[in-house]
Amino acid sequence: MVRFVLNGTPVETDDAPDTPLLWVVRDTFGLKGSKYGCGAGLCGACTMHVDGAATRTCVLPVSAVAGRSVTTIEGIGTPDALHPLQAAWVEHSVPQCGYCQSGQIMTAAALLERNPNPTATEVESAMAGNLCRCGCYPRIKAAILAVGALAHDATRSEETPA
Amino acid sequence: MNTVNVSRRRFLRASALAGGGLVVGFSLSGCARAPLPIDPDAGGWVPNAFLQLTGDGHVRFYCPRDEMGQGVSTGLATIIAEELDLDPARFDIVFAGVHEDYDNPAMGMQVTGGSTSIKAHYAPLRQVGANTRALLLEAAALDLGVPAAGLRTDDGHVVHDGARHPYARFVATAARLTAPQAAPLKDPADFRWIGADFPRLDATAKATGTAEFGIDVEVPGMHYAAVRRPPVAGARLKSVDTGAVRDMPGVTDVVEIGSGVAVVAERYWQARKAADALQPVWHDAPLARVDSATVRRDYEQALAGGAVSDGVDVGRVSGPSRGDVDAGMATAETVVEATYWAPHLAHAPLEPMNAVLRIGDGEAELWTGTQSVSGARGLVARASGIDAERIRVHNTYLGGAFGRRGTLTHVTEVTEIALATGKPIKLLWSREDDMRHGLYRPASLMTIRAGAAGGRITAWDARRVGGNITPDTIENALPGLFPAIGDRGVRWIAGAADYAMANWFADGSSIEGLFEDYDFEHLNVAHVTVDHGLPLTFWRSVGHSYSAFAKESMIDEIAVALDADPVELRLANTRNSPRLHNVIRIAGERMAAMQPAPGRHLGFAAHHSFATDVAEIAEVSVTDGRIRVHRVTCVVDCGVAVNPDIVRAQMEGGVIFGLTAALYGNLQLDGGAIRESNFHDYPLLRMDESPEVEVIIVDSGTEPTGVGEPGLPPIAPAVANAVFRATGQRLRTLPLTLEA
Ligand code: FES
Ligand code: FES
Repeated sequence: MVRFVLNGTPVETDDAPDTPLLWVVRDTFGLKGSKYGCGAGLCGACTMHVDGAATRTCVLPVSAVAGRSVTTIEGIGTPDALHPLQAAWVEHSVPQCGYCQSGQIMTAAALLERNPNPTATEVESAMAGNLCRCGCYPRIKAAILAVGALAHDATRSEETPA
Repeated sequence: MNTVNVSRRRFLRASALAGGGLVVGFSLSGCARAPLPIDPDAGGWVPNAFLQLTGDGHVRFYCPRDEMGQGVSTGLATIIAEELDLDPARFDIVFAGVHEDYDNPAMGMQVTGGSTSIKAHYAPLRQVGANTRALLLEAAALDLGVPAAGLRTDDGHVVHDGARHPYARFVATAARLTAPQAAPLKDPADFRWIGADFPRLDATAKATGTAEFGIDVEVPGMHYAAVRRPPVAGARLKSVDTGAVRDMPGVTDVVEIGSGVAVVAERYWQARKAADALQPVWHDAPLARVDSATVRRDYEQALAGGAVSDGVDVGRVSGPSRGDVDAGMATAETVVEATYWAPHLAHAPLEPMNAVLRIGDGEAELWTGTQSVSGARGLVARASGIDAERIRVHNTYLGGAFGRRGTLTHVTEVTEIALATGKPIKLLWSREDDMRHGLYRPASLMTIRAGAAGGRITAWDARRVGGNITPDTIENALPGLFPAIGDRGVRWIAGAADYAMANWFADGSSIEGLFEDYDFEHLNVAHVTVDHGLPLTFWRSVGHSYSAFAKESMIDEIAVALDADPVELRLANTRNSPRLHNVIRIAGERMAAMQPAPGRHLGFAAHHSFATDVAEIAEVSVTDGRIRVHRVTCVVDCGVAVNPDIVRAQMEGGVIFGLTAALYGNLQLDGGAIRESNFHDYPLLRMDESPEVEVIIVDSGTEPTGVGEPGLPPIAPAVANAVFRATGQRLRTLPLTLEA
């Protein structure tokens, strides 16, 4: 039995300890937002946060998250309460097929957590492991930079109250 | 030990035959109309196959085409919404089930592909929207007791004397009236949503992980299946020891199916591990003698008229021609000849193939993301013997397709597995399965000899060597689309097409794009079929994906030989293609104004495909033998841009998909098996390698034409032409690789 925290809720599973976290989250707990693209840590479609760090869960045994905190795309925002990145994704019409986008957003969210206003180059290097077969990269980059700029403006307006 | 003997193979197929599976009740024409696959629980008024208006104000749009990322659900919703006069963002979009009313008007079949959807549905869906609106106005006039002439509509409301009444109020009355067939259409000058930018309608679902793909579907009692297939296409199972695997945790069944051995378990990971543990032994297949080097050598031999590998047939046919090419060459001042190569490619959509099937008592329900729900239904009917009218197909979002999700061997597999086990099944292919057991973009060897005189390209002699996709497409599509045709009939028809295209006339998709765009006075096109047996199919932009590389590289080579400006040369030779001429002119002006940074070089290419004209400029640098594409400018004329932002997105996507092919794509055969398996050896372009893409939409005012594919063909030659400017090396082989 492996116990961990999933989107803030303690959970336990009797899936075999070597089962990749991705399948436990998708099939045992029914959260389908995280996707399977390669099963080998090569595409980023399965990205979740483990204790805040963007992690490829298709190659992470569920035993490795015992006692840790896992956040999925469902845990950062919903259609009625979008995360700022999700709002930017809509505004920039980022998705095409959409299949890679949960993973893209989770990697981007982890980036913005540690670097709220990244440069274009920082965005590119943080996102280089998330593949998009449809070629949404220009829009993914623009959406992340837009959220970063918002954060920047917010900090600035706090510093210099009007 | 538990060994399945080959002599007991295919019991499933035999039992399907015994159950009459090949002669199911599929009405080809003339029979009574089947009821629409509309959700009856939603109630309300269903004026036609596309709309369902409920009394509580919801409007469902049954989208007839499949959403694979190209934005078709937003585009078609916008077209019908414009004439209905209702903000498309207020639609609930449902992907339509199987019914002839949802056939693609461009094909007469319920298939999505060929960049046809917006073009083919533009006029019909406008009319459907207008007819429905007219009916609502008529109902409102009755309900309000006023003359219809005093009424107008505004975004889902009938407006009378300044009062706004929601459409829902008149639905009950409208349901009793008869719809007009040809209500007047809006003046395009009054369009509110067509031509406007707004976020695509599926963006929120796709940004929140709530959009449902085939892989996400669950049904009660569902078990998971993984399949082992032969490494070489066409090989048959000899034997397999299933004993050890049956005892693995969670495993419930191990069954033999037409394509290999399926393992069924309670959880996906259990099924996958057990399938990986199997050690099936396969018979030999003819393709096992083939390496990628064999393919290329045979193509070169066939081109030169030499001998090819034993057992490989060569078929030669003539394509379109005009004038007298020999005379044209004889009078040319300059003759240029070159040969270009494009390899096999995989589609690699990010969502691997999958399907969920539940079989009940004489009925079945299938969930899958497909480019043809009717083809999917036919395959279930064929493999199960269940009446097609009693099979419901639910289409989901497609996690990429690019032509791959028109061929549905996974649907046949899931049907065989569900029948053999009696369980609802989710079949999921691994990435490796997807890479190695698919169908592929054919490799192509193309030679062009061109003669020029007085700044005009006067003679064009083009020849392509390779396999044809149409026979494989027929073999894969017919069983689903026409279940009444038996297996032998399918094989006969596909064989006849194979023979005809090798010996009588060229498969159009083998030579398309190689010769049409320029005003050559003398033209000769020839095709040489050499097919080693790797399964082939459509791949985004089909023949254009390789022919544009040869054609637009050759145009650049001619410009170099003539010491002419490549844009001027194109302008002087496209007088008969005014729309293409125009995008070349506009892109040429942009290029003339560009001032690339030191070390960066520009390359130009233009191409007409899927009724759309595109010119692209690639800004490229070459450092330490590495090609880097920094910026692409794309000028596109697709007529009316229904949603300009989606047009831009499709051009961006086409360019980036095309760059993966131009710089990396190379699917190779080793002893008939695909060498590549996953994204480490079949890399996709990454964000840090991806160019900025600027898209300029030219609206020539014609009705809309396709955008899913036309962005792709010009990019490889544009990059190759830029690399020539940067290095002096003329790269004629894809993927583009510099000599050390
Ligand atoms: S599915 Fe995990 S990295 Fe691709
Ligand atoms: S949107 Fe299709 S893979 Fe990224």
